[in-house]
Amino acid sequence: MILGLRTRNVAWLGVAVVILLALPLVVRNSFAINIFIRILLFAFIGVAWNLMGGYAKQLSLGHAAYFGLGAYTSTLLQIDFGISPWIGMFAGGVVAMLASLPIGALCFRLRGPYFAIATIATAQVLMLIFLKFRDFAWGAEGTTIPNLGNAPLMMQFDAKAAYYYIALGLLALGLAITYLIERSWMGYYLVAIGEDEDAAEAIGVNAPRVKRDIYMISSFLTALAGTFYVQFIYFIDPNIAFNFSVSIEAALVSIVGGIGTLWGPVIGTVLLETTSALLQRWLGSSFVGVQLTVYSLILMAVILWRPTGLIGVLTDACARITRRAPARV
Amino acid sequence: MLETVAQAVVNGLLIGGIYALVSIGVTLIFGVVKIVNFAQGEFVMLGMYISFFLATQFGIDPIASLVVSMPVLFVAGVLIQHFLIRRVLGLDDMPQIFLTFALSLLLINLALMLFTANYRTIHTWYSDESLHFGGINVPMAKLIAFVLAMVLSGALWVFLHTTDLGKAMRASAQNREVAMLMGINPNRVFCIALGVALALAGAAGSLLMPFYPVYPMVGQIFVLMAFVAVVLGTLGNVIGALVASLMMGVAESLGIQFVGADSGLIVVFLMLLLTLAFRPNGLAGGRARQ
Repeated sequence: MILGLRTRNVAWLGVAVVILLALPLVVRNSFAINIFIRILLFAFIGVAWNLMGGYAKQLSLGHAAYFGLGAYTSTLLQIDFGISPWIGMFAGGVVAMLASLPIGALCFRLRGPYFAIATIATAQVLMLIFLKFRDFAWGAEGTTIPNLGNAPLMMQFDAKAAYYYIALGLLALGLAITYLIERSWMGYYLVAIGEDEDAAEAIGVNAPRVKRDIYMISSFLTALAGTFYVQFIYFIDPNIAFNFSVSIEAALVSIVGGIGTLWGPVIGTVLLETTSALLQRWLGSSFVGVQLTVYSLILMAVILWRPTGLIGVLTDACARITRRAPARV
Repeated sequence: MLETVAQAVVNGLLIGGIYALVSIGVTLIFGVVKIVNFAQGEFVMLGMYISFFLATQFGIDPIASLVVSMPVLFVAGVLIQHFLIRRVLGLDDMPQIFLTFALSLLLINLALMLFTANYRTIHTWYSDESLHFGGINVPMAKLIAFVLAMVLSGALWVFLHTTDLGKAMRASAQNREVAMLMGINPNRVFCIALGVALALAGAAGSLLMPFYPVYPMVGQIFVLMAFVAVVLGTLGNVIGALVASLMMGVAESLGIQFVGADSGLIVVFLMLLLTLAFRPNGLAGGRARQ
């Protein structure tokens, strides 16, 4: 036993880490590396969403708000004050955390579908604010991020692989935080709130405080992804930073993979992003609309037939295999 | 000044009539089936495309194409309730929210694939006509849409209050278990409720077509308006939704007049957040939290 992990699981994890670390050394195709980076990034956003949406069942459709705040904070600090995005990234996280306080105070007054609608509205209002106030942050035109060549201290690299390792690091951070929370008192409180908020409060869980805290953690992590993304594509505008599709994908990967589980968002992202990349390869530019059509069909199929997500399918399959194997003594 | 305000109020009331058709649908589904239909706006979009293609292919007037769009969407509603929504009733929030959400995504993106993102409009003989009352200008197409929207809302009210089926629907909305004990078949009532709600959304689409462009995302603004109106008008209350929709139309129109043309959406979202913050139980009180 290491840190509560079984030795066999540690071995599997070790193998996975080695493969993931070696991947960019083996695969040199930049299209493939781009897909890996997208998978890692969206898995990380899904993990951040899942902390609140999966464990506590607070189904947010507005996580683009924090993605955008993270992206804009680090970009403003970099362009106006020359501060490195490495610092800007955490500044963005703090801004997102602070923003989640009033947004949470407002939205947590509602439950279920109306909570989801209120969170959509908050992300859209932020997008419209950034579109409207041109003097503050370039308005609708957006801005390119100055290219400094290979400047690791400013989060700019010649090699695509560097971005891959940053995204991998973020995902590892997200999974580690989820792992720790899952096993702490907070994890149990979150699940209790997700099951039945009134019952949780009746047995003494301070639901408003727990929801506030997890919302802060979730938005902090989402903001880190925002900074990384604009550094990766060297461009920012309100439509990229606060795009509704970020909110959608954060929720979708978790639900498709397995809501409220450690690995669910990762599995969901691998499926959805791989599907999307294959469709893009196959259909080229006539791809508009097809990606989300396929996503929505997968989402419906999961809801109607497998509400526990792909992870439920995998666990069932494993259970069937182990049942068939003779018991080892 | 007074004339400008009066003109803005008239414009707001006219478009508010369309919002009312969408909101009444949302509130009917929420009241009877206890589901928030995220896809309601997309059925307005479908109604608009039906009228658009009937007009361009067969030269049928968009208002006359109501007789096609309403029955088509009624059937769609019955099928959606029977094959999709029925299967998530009684489950927790996640499937209930994300099923209609997935439906909305699906319809928008299918429309994007089939019809492209282009804005399409229809020009009818009454599109440019308008009536004048003093200094106030009332566009003919909007007036026709408003009057028919009010007629349809009135017809729904009569249906809910005088027919057995309507009474069964109201009974299911008030107390599902007791309604079932009285011999009401819930699935049948739910199917009819979905059908009627979608038919109203389809009607809204056909009525909009003479003066509003259609594109795959067009439903979003209507569904957001409807969500605000439904909360303001107390969830599940048809008259409340109607009055709130007209108010929303006027508020939006005043916002556009006095704040700026592109402020319409900001006004809607701010109204949504303010409503949820200060009046989550609706203007008349009642129950919004489930």
